[in-house]
Amino acid sequence: MMDRWERIDEIVGRLEQILLGILLGTMILVAVIQIALRNVLSTGLAWGDQLVRNLVLWTGFIGAAVATREGKHISIDVVSRWISPKRKIGIEIITNGFSLLICALLTFAALKFVNNEIQMKSILFLGVPSWASEIILPVTLGVMTFRFCLRFLKSILMTRHQETGR
Amino acid sequence: MTLGLIILVFCLLMLLGVPLFVVISGLALSLLYLNQIDSSAVIIEMYRMATTPILVAIPLFTFAGYLLSESGAPRRLVRLSHALLGWLPGGVSMIALLTCAIFTALTGATGLTIIAMGGILLPAMTKVKYPESFSLGLLTTSGTLGLLFPPSLPLIIYAIVAKVRIDHLFVAGILPGILLIALLAPYCFYRAIKAEVPRSRFSIPEVAGAVKDCMWELPLPFVVLGGIYGGYFVVSDAAAITAIYVLLVEVLIYRDIRWGELPGIMKKSMVLVGTILIILGAALGLTNYLIDEEIPMKILDLIRAHIASPFLFLIVLNLFLLAVGCIMGMFPALTVVIPLITPIAQAYGIHPLHLGIIFLTNLEIGASIPPLGINLFISSIRFEKPVLSLYIASLPFIIILLVGLAIITYVPWLSLALVNTP
Repeated sequence: MMDRWERIDEIVGRLEQILLGILLGTMILVAVIQIALRNVLSTGLAWGDQLVRNLVLWTGFIGAAVATREGKHISIDVVSRWISPKRKIGIEIITNGFSLLICALLTFAALKFVNNEIQMKSILFLGVPSWASEIILPVTLGVMTFRFCLRFLKSILMTRHQETGR
Repeated sequence: MTLGLIILVFCLLMLLGVPLFVVISGLALSLLYLNQIDSSAVIIEMYRMATTPILVAIPLFTFAGYLLSESGAPRRLVRLSHALLGWLPGGVSMIALLTCAIFTALTGATGLTIIAMGGILLPAMTKVKYPESFSLGLLTTSGTLGLLFPPSLPLIIYAIVAKVRIDHLFVAGILPGILLIALLAPYCFYRAIKAEVPRSRFSIPEVAGAVKDCMWELPLPFVVLGGIYGGYFVVSDAAAITAIYVLLVEVLIYRDIRWGELPGIMKKSMVLVGTILIILGAALGLTNYLIDEEIPMKILDLIRAHIASPFLFLIVLNLFLLAVGCIMGMFPALTVVIPLITPIAQAYGIHPLHLGIIFLTNLEIGASIPPLGINLFISSIRFEKPVLSLYIASLPFIIILLVGLAIITYVPWLSLALVNTP
């Protein structure tokens, strides 16, 4: 059961790595083209700066989603350095459960935000509506929620194993 | 009352190891809920922050930094500085100081320096018979030494959060950064002479060879800084040029990095960017709320009742920031603490740029201070030494750096002399 969810997580992870490469590559390319156009021909792509800024938004939040998968989010890890592995699992249940709850709330808030923006019908550039870029917020926050959920379930399963193992 | 309880619970969760962005945005969500403001306000701030024009510099510089650290650049940099400085007494330790400083400035002060440079520099130092404890202390504390030099990531983040001009802050850090290195240098000379470290001969062919070896990387600092201060391009342009330049040089000219390795490096660097960005976004939501509620002014009144002089205020500020740097780490401290401190410090008449340099120097030192300074743990893993031995090894360096901090704090001229502001 957990296996299937983890396989989905892995596929999402691979997709994220590909996306990060494409987005970062485009970001560098467009930024450099903008500089060249500005300095050599004193012109520029009207939508170039907007595109680059939104690419930062996308790479940043996809990066944050990958960080959740790899457990690389910045945290203050004072307690776990000095405590037994058994207690550590208890703490992991608390921290992952809480992170799951907050991320779910953030995802909900992000959905409300995008919904508002759709109704506002604002345009980003070249006729692309703003929500088309902003949609990345609920998507990545949703992925983070899913990943904290996986971690939460895993830490609960671990305590079961410990009990039956004894 | 409820507010105090909520803050207490969140602090507890933070110490248990809940990711900081979760703690911060959770706190923001509950404050919004208590005040019956819609929760999407947090997301609006995140979106606004993530699409700030200057923020483009962060992923681009970070990617370039990761590329450099995975390439042969650290080795070439050490070879060049060895050719130039190896003949001095204490030459090798000076090399370690300088190369670490340059490397941290380029890679953004994220512990990459200790990992990338440490592996080359520690054997180089112990081979010529520097005491091990001295070498470990030097490399541990040097991990953040370049933080005051442009284009380091913490400088950029400070400028964004505190809303000061990045090009001014870049210049402001130069003299204080040189001061810290100049204070450490005599100690390095002294230890080298005491340990009777052999010197190498100065050889012009070796210098020429080393220069030729890194002739493609040498122009980089000049292009970046010359471009910004010559008025040719802004900081985010400099970041884009750095990224494309490093990419071309390391992949096509030196071929240190194969095409196939690029996606992995891109991912690694963007994970770092993501973790910083999401904390920045969450913190902005929280601090905007706190500022609306005039919390900094309330803290200010509280402090004013006890501290009258700016002199005393600066001492308290330093102690507080050292603790914050040691416990919270660089990026969370930058994002959460700055908006609260800035109005208070201004009320005491401290220049925003000077405050920024004080702030960053504190974080730089705090990162090496026991018991929780992050550099100590990175070194412990990198060099496979117990953390306790690193506490002792880095102590002399921390004392010297604290002297530097005192000078930087009470001589604002150092931070402001090079900045052309009225």
